[in-house]
Amino acid sequence: MKVSRIALLLAAAAVLEFFVGRSPYRAFVPVDWFLLGTAAVARSGDFVRAVLTGAAAGSLEDALSQPLIGLNAFAKAVIGYALTLVSVRVVFGGALAVGGALFVASLANEAIVALLAALLAQSPVVIFTRDALWRAAATGIAGGALESAWNFPWRDWWQRRRLRRLR
Amino acid sequence: MRPHNARVEIAAVNPRRGGAVLATVLVACVLLLSAQAQARGGRGTVLQSWILSLSAPVAAAVGSVSHGASDAVGSMLALFRVREENARLRRELDERERELFRLRAEALQGAEDRRLLGGGSALPGVLGSVPILLVEGRAGAHSVLIGAGSADGVVPGSPLAVPAGLVGRVVTVGRGVSRAQLLLDASAAAGARIARTGELGVVRGDGHGALVLNNIATTSSVARGDLVESAGIDGIYPRGVPIGRVASVSRGSKLFLEVRVTPSAEFSRLTDVLLLAPSLAAKEGAEAGRSAPR
Repeated sequence: MKVSRIALLLAAAAVLEFFVGRSPYRAFVPVDWFLLGTAAVARSGDFVRAVLTGAAAGSLEDALSQPLIGLNAFAKAVIGYALTLVSVRVVFGGALAVGGALFVASLANEAIVALLAALLAQSPVVIFTRDALWRAAATGIAGGALESAWNFPWRDWWQRRRLRRLR
Repeated sequence: MRPHNARVEIAAVNPRRGGAVLATVLVACVLLLSAQAQARGGRGTVLQSWILSLSAPVAAAVGSVSHGASDAVGSMLALFRVREENARLRRELDERERELFRLRAEALQGAEDRRLLGGGSALPGVLGSVPILLVEGRAGAHSVLIGAGSADGVVPGSPLAVPAGLVGRVVTVGRGVSRAQLLLDASAAAGARIARTGELGVVRGDGHGALVLNNIATTSSVARGDLVESAGIDGIYPRGVPIGRVASVSRGSKLFLEVRVTPSAEFSRLTDVLLLAPSLAAKEGAEAGRSAPR
């Protein structure tokens, strides 16, 4: 994936974070957009870019929402590497598989951040809360839906629809 | 999208090279985190402050678009609901008529309660209302981005509240956007007082969306439903702002009770908050931070 596309992806993730964050309906769509951006790069199979994208996305997220910069950067860099490994080594595809992988990745992100915060900021370890599970589920569903939309034959569908109308 | 030449392609999918980059990034993260953990002292970093300042225009623009979209969605939903709501409102109107007499009596009682609580429901030193741009709750850390910064007189430590009760405090200030820690945060704490008995304790977030009141002796007569308000002893929050009501009291450690508190403010529905005047200590801290060489 090109660097310009990665930058665009991160910018879109940040904009979506703000868009959803400002909305009173934010509790219904707590999607981790930065994780989706990292996963999109990881899907291309480029380890270096996936790790660097994860680190950049995590840093941006930390600056917006965490007491220490680097917590999410650490977690997302690891997840970027792991997701690339999965996408390269495992025969991987389909909305369910992608959604499941993102669900696990989101929970892993949560666990890594909680453990790092406990080690470095002496915060209590809070892992796998209801919010975390809901966020992981929402991220998995959003990722699965995007995967389906990406693989859907839109052109054929549009042509079939036009033909039906002409008849 | 494939790389143009085969060597680049092999390098890109080489996990060993990726591993080296990962190790470098992780070491950099740990170094960055260690530096912050030592130097923070409870306040946001300069880097965070810069990033918040840079993100202010984007946050404000996207926030207003989001607000507009939310309003549009809200209007549409309202349109769909309006017929059903009309019938419900008619039924409710009849009920309300009956309740009116009872409510009048309760209002008189409520006014008396408020007078007895020393006007605890009135928020002191309200500077103005600020919009919430982003709410984050992850790994026990509950924080919000608010659409006001140093240009609006926000300083680290400025308390935030809603009419119902205390919400949290500002920790990092950018020019037009600031980050605040909510009371629900697992590492947040506030000096608190049980309004009925006058006993002092420390309210902490449990990271799961509730509050815990610590340091209440087992001899205390605290009971379910008691109002917990800020005590003004922590140098951050003003005195007499409601925090919540006691939800349960149980035997905790040997000396202290375990008192769980339901927050007065509805954290899940925050859209705007009131910015309260910072305490003298917070103001002095902010001025010292500004004058100190970075």
